[in-house]
Amino acid sequence: MNLKKSRNFGESSMSLDGIGKQDAGDTKRKRKVAEITQALNATPVDVATLRRMAISEGGLMSHEIRRKVWPRLLNVPDESIPEKLDEVDRENNKDYNQVLLDVQRSLRRFPPGMPDEQRMGLQEELIDIILRVLQKNPQLHYYQGYHDIVVTFLLVLGERLATALVEKLSTHHLRDFMDPTMDNTKHILNYLMPIIERVNPEVYDFMQQAEVGTIFALSWLITWFGHVLSDFRHVVRLYDFFLACHPLMPIYFAAVIVLYREEEVLDCECDMAMMHHLLSQIPQDLPYETLISRAGDLFVQFPPSELAKGATRERAQQTAASTFTDFDLASAQQQPETVLRRRQREQKQQQKQHGSTLNPQSGTVSVIRPAARRLVRLAVMGITVALGAAALAVVNSALEWAPKLDLLFP
Amino acid sequence: MANEAHGRGEGAGLASNSLELSTSLERSVQTRIFKIIVIGDSNVGKTCLTFRFTGGSFPDKTEATIGVDFREKAVEIEGERIKVQVWDTAGQERFRKSMVEHYYRNVHAVVFVYDVTKMVSFENLKTWIQECNGHRVSASVPRVLVGNKCDLVDQIQVPSNMALKFADAHNMLLFETSAKDPKESQNVDSIFMCLACRLKAQKSLIYWNVEREDGKVRLNQEPDPKTNCPC
Ligand SMILES: Nc1nc2c(ncn2[C@@H]2O[C@H](COP(=O)(O)OP(=O)(O)OP(=O)(O)O)[C@@H](O)[C@H]2O)c(=O)[nH]1
Ligand SMILES: [Mg+2]
Repeated sequence: MNLKKSRNFGESSMSLDGIGKQDAGDTKRKRKVAEITQALNATPVDVATLRRMAISEGGLMSHEIRRKVWPRLLNVPDESIPEKLDEVDRENNKDYNQVLLDVQRSLRRFPPGMPDEQRMGLQEELIDIILRVLQKNPQLHYYQGYHDIVVTFLLVLGERLATALVEKLSTHHLRDFMDPTMDNTKHILNYLMPIIERVNPEVYDFMQQAEVGTIFALSWLITWFGHVLSDFRHVVRLYDFFLACHPLMPIYFAAVIVLYREEEVLDCECDMAMMHHLLSQIPQDLPYETLISRAGDLFVQFPPSELAKGATRERAQQTAASTFTDFDLASAQQQPETVLRRRQREQKQQQKQHGSTLNPQSGTVSVIRPAARRLVRLAVMGITVALGAAALAVVNSALEWAPKLDLLFP
Repeated sequence: MANEAHGRGEGAGLASNSLELSTSLERSVQTRIFKIIVIGDSNVGKTCLTFRFTGGSFPDKTEATIGVDFREKAVEIEGERIKVQVWDTAGQERFRKSMVEHYYRNVHAVVFVYDVTKMVSFENLKTWIQECNGHRVSASVPRVLVGNKCDLVDQIQVPSNMALKFADAHNMLLFETSAKDPKESQNVDSIFMCLACRLKAQKSLIYWNVEREDGKVRLNQEPDPKTNCPC
């Protein structure tokens, strides 16, 4: 924990890995910038292209581009954001104490060379953003780790934009983590092992035998890896990806990391403590582009709706993530809140009709794991690997899953 | 990183020929493991204390613990090498119920931490004890109470005698210490060593029962009745 390398901060361009020659990289980069600019200038803004750009190799490349594209990915256009930020009532906020403690201890999230004074100013802004979102949305509850997400937005976007985007994110992608309890978070963690099982049953069996659990991935999931990666460039690259995707994509990415470390896992002692220890230490030199593309592939092969079939259906239905359909790529959403309330009503009505007491907690233990699907590699695997995850949208329509990429948030 | 995870004390990296390898394997087979869980409110210094014990220093920058962190240290007690595994847990309430559960299983000792400069963290110990009992930690599992941040002498809110009374009432040993003050580092060690000592006296603890199975090592645990603590 203490050994983390200091992060490099800044606008420095991502090196597009896999490209040997500097020139080739430059050309590719320029082409991408042009494509992004064109998508931004289109009327209406070409969000589908922006999504593809955010997912594909190298992501959005610079903070300057992120400042323009992230708001579009979340459908919070700059002009819709008020100039003046709400006042923050720190003293009357139930979460203020915890937020303060966590932000004070978040020194490592700031660029190492930053003068103390500037950092302290940003920490104050960080507290304000968090409290502002919480006081405006009393249904949301603060969790340790939320600050790791918000700080990323603050450093890239500045306070005003960050506030608006974090609010949208909190009521959509992060909604499940912000429940009064962590039951839904736990449920989402339950998607991890079934993904691993389908790709590599040996790793799965070994991990099950060790009873390692899934808590090693908890901080990955609820901070979108912001808590565990020390190089800020990797963090924002992942955020490009996650912002463009389904809210469950971080769990696919977590699975991909475990699978990438297959050999280490199988070499580890079959013991909960040793394996937890091994897995929770994320290697800092992961091949991010490859892993992103792989996570995209797995998502196409084993979409959440399929993983959630059966045993945990009822629980799954209570998560906000389940209000996103697999291939909307989080664009065409009704407020999860509204959908969940409607479902609850319907469920109650059903119960009344059937006179049965449906226990909502039942079946929370594991996501169904149909052995039949083990090791089945769909043809699509080849296609998406070749095209990279960027091709998600293309592949989707090829498979006649209807992606509603151009629909916007209501 | 991976090496660190595999490095089981000094034995692991040194084995250079097969003879050494087999002796080091034998040794690891007999190493007993003590699992200790550290709980208490957020910011009382659980991470700092466990780091002080396993890493030997005060971390200059800690971060909020999310979920559960694991640290371990090999110690020697009366000539026996013992591995102490410390589970450092998150203090925020929402993590307690569903998340930390898994880690209460088979613990050999519980360390309750409060911050001597924060009365609330002391008052909340009641909930932590309930929490612990709720996870079916047996009454025979030793528990110690640690008042941390004693270096902040002019901010102390929890008087020693109050803490002592509480500790007595709950059949716990009390340590007042500081993860920060280097002069106290021995004291921090002694918390864990004392527990280890006490556990050693219980014949009960886990041995590494090695059964070769497809070339993989499997572990068995055998709980047994306990004997007295020498501390
Ligand atoms: N003065 C002083 N400060 C300490 C001591 N121990 C910890 N701290 C400080 O207290 C703060 C919290 O320490 P942590 O170890 O992160 O607290 P924690 O109990 O692990 O908190 P959570 O992970 O949120 O549950 C940090 O800012 C530490 O520097 C101590 O002995 N003396
Ligand atoms: Mg901690």
